[in-house]
Amino acid sequence: MWDALIITPFVNVLLFIYNLVGQNFGLAIILFTLLIRLITHPLMVKQIKGAKAMQELQKNEKWLKIQEKYKNDREKLAQEQMALYRELGINPFASCLPTLIQFPIIIGLYQSLIIALASTPIELLNLIRHIYPALLKVEALIPLNSQFLWMDLGLPERLVLPFLPVGIPVLAVVVTVTTYLQGKLMTPPSANPKDQSAMFSNMMNLYMPFLMGYLALTLASGLALYFVVSNLIGILQYALLGQLNWQNILPKRASEKPSKAGAKK
Amino acid sequence: MKRRSKIFWFVNVVLIALLLGGCAGTLASSSWPGVTVVEETAYVAYGNHVYALRVSDGSMLWRFPEKAEGQRLFFAAPAIADGHLVVGDYLAVLHSLDPQTGQEQWTFTGAQGRWIASPLVLDSRIYAPNADHHLYALDLQGNLLWKFKASKALWSQPVSDGRRIYQASMDHFLYALDPSTGQKIWARDLGGAVIYSPVLSDEGIIYISTLARNVLAIRAEDGSIIWQKAFENNFWSQPLLQGDRLYLGDLGGKVYAISAQDGTVVWENNLGEPLTGAPTWLDGEVVFTTENGKVVAYSEDGNQKWKVTLEGKLYNGPVVANSHLLVGIAQGKVLVQALTAGGQQAWAFEPPK
Repeated sequence: MWDALIITPFVNVLLFIYNLVGQNFGLAIILFTLLIRLITHPLMVKQIKGAKAMQELQKNEKWLKIQEKYKNDREKLAQEQMALYRELGINPFASCLPTLIQFPIIIGLYQSLIIALASTPIELLNLIRHIYPALLKVEALIPLNSQFLWMDLGLPERLVLPFLPVGIPVLAVVVTVTTYLQGKLMTPPSANPKDQSAMFSNMMNLYMPFLMGYLALTLASGLALYFVVSNLIGILQYALLGQLNWQNILPKRASEKPSKAGAKK
Repeated sequence: MKRRSKIFWFVNVVLIALLLGGCAGTLASSSWPGVTVVEETAYVAYGNHVYALRVSDGSMLWRFPEKAEGQRLFFAAPAIADGHLVVGDYLAVLHSLDPQTGQEQWTFTGAQGRWIASPLVLDSRIYAPNADHHLYALDLQGNLLWKFKASKALWSQPVSDGRRIYQASMDHFLYALDPSTGQKIWARDLGGAVIYSPVLSDEGIIYISTLARNVLAIRAEDGSIIWQKAFENNFWSQPLLQGDRLYLGDLGGKVYAISAQDGTVVWENNLGEPLTGAPTWLDGEVVFTTENGKVVAYSEDGNQKWKVTLEGKLYNGPVVANSHLLVGIAQGKVLVQALTAGGQQAWAFEPPK
């Protein structure tokens, strides 16, 4: 079911693009990722708007008073919260529902890339099975041209320079840096840095770049390329929506420091 | 509390990473067992080890390496040459082992890609195709004599008539090479990738199947096409030449007996499951294996004689050893199943942990 509805169509679209761009698999990965992110862009906009509304609610005076008033009565607090949602026209699921819809699409995209990057016999057999014969000709497609710049997209990437004894994992470094930047730029400023969601964001921003970098180091470079493209598109989407939080990566101005220090007290 | 929370989120991130890494699959299940039989010993390459088994009862004589080494995986059927068992791994290393003890004698590390196909041994030389697009010619000490570059990966074992080497490639071409220099004599575009080896007749005709749904007969002398026949499905199979017929199966699940003279279909049968590898001839019967574990024997005139189902995936054809059929099984508990000519189970080899 999952295969027929998501994976197989994705694989065929990816390979169709690959054919369209002169059998350049790297370019096909970039365009395919862009296409999927464009399709899911409206969902992302809804998700951001929903998240922003929820975030603004945290600063809402009425909500702060309700929290204080019913801090010992969870049931009443929930009732009041729902009433406030209605009053302010906030849909509590506005941010998580688009995420839930996007999630299988992103996972499908990732899995279809893995299938298309076949570099061993069983992987190639599996890829052949996913191709629609009416749309694409196996004989013209196989073997896929997995060469892109200096990389074989089916293998982990290393840039080999004649004067160095070991290859440099350029993509792994780029994945680490772009994941870090994406995490930092897309994390909204938190009203209370000690709340659960802020802590979650901080932890993700700390560990995720290294883990993604490790995956890029060990997995096929086609997937690492996807990670980079996906990160850059994510940043671009947020930039277009005016949601990038530059304060997270730019050095703090002197005038901001005392007030933050004051806030801590 | 803060420390606990940090651990909680760290575990979450690790789980996400494992999920992403897990989706990418493991190399351990990326191919199937390669089986070679030499007299009383069967050599089996699969996963982290190469095994030497006694053909009579399936007992293990040795395995190499004794301890598994991470990404060092063996799938290509080993080749034997004057006291050398030659086998390549997925870390681009070609090993020469002592066939009696499994001790490593030398390694060749000059290739860049995986050793997916078996080497060919001819006149004290080793001709080893690699996924890095090169066919490497080595002497029996592992010294490089020459290398020939195709434009795509080489996944099939070369064949030879003693005068020339014939190497099929994923780049859609069949190459005829001079075995002493590696010079190309001719190249023939087959219209589709060739994954499995061709078969060469005593009359100098090469029979080959392609992913372009074709079976071709090619004159070894000059590479000219004698006949080619289009079929319904892609082939990932080495034809079996027996008498004046070719037997092979396709990825759509059909088995065929076709005339070696002109490619006309003599009989066909639909097994409904993909067939890869090469069928085998034993006691007047042609034996096919299917992906989902079926071993099926047909008489010469296309009547099904017997069928057994084994647990696991069968991507490679059976190998004949002492009137038995040895079937290499991928993704199963048993690695090698020995069957009698009638399909009765003789012995099974389960690799030790």
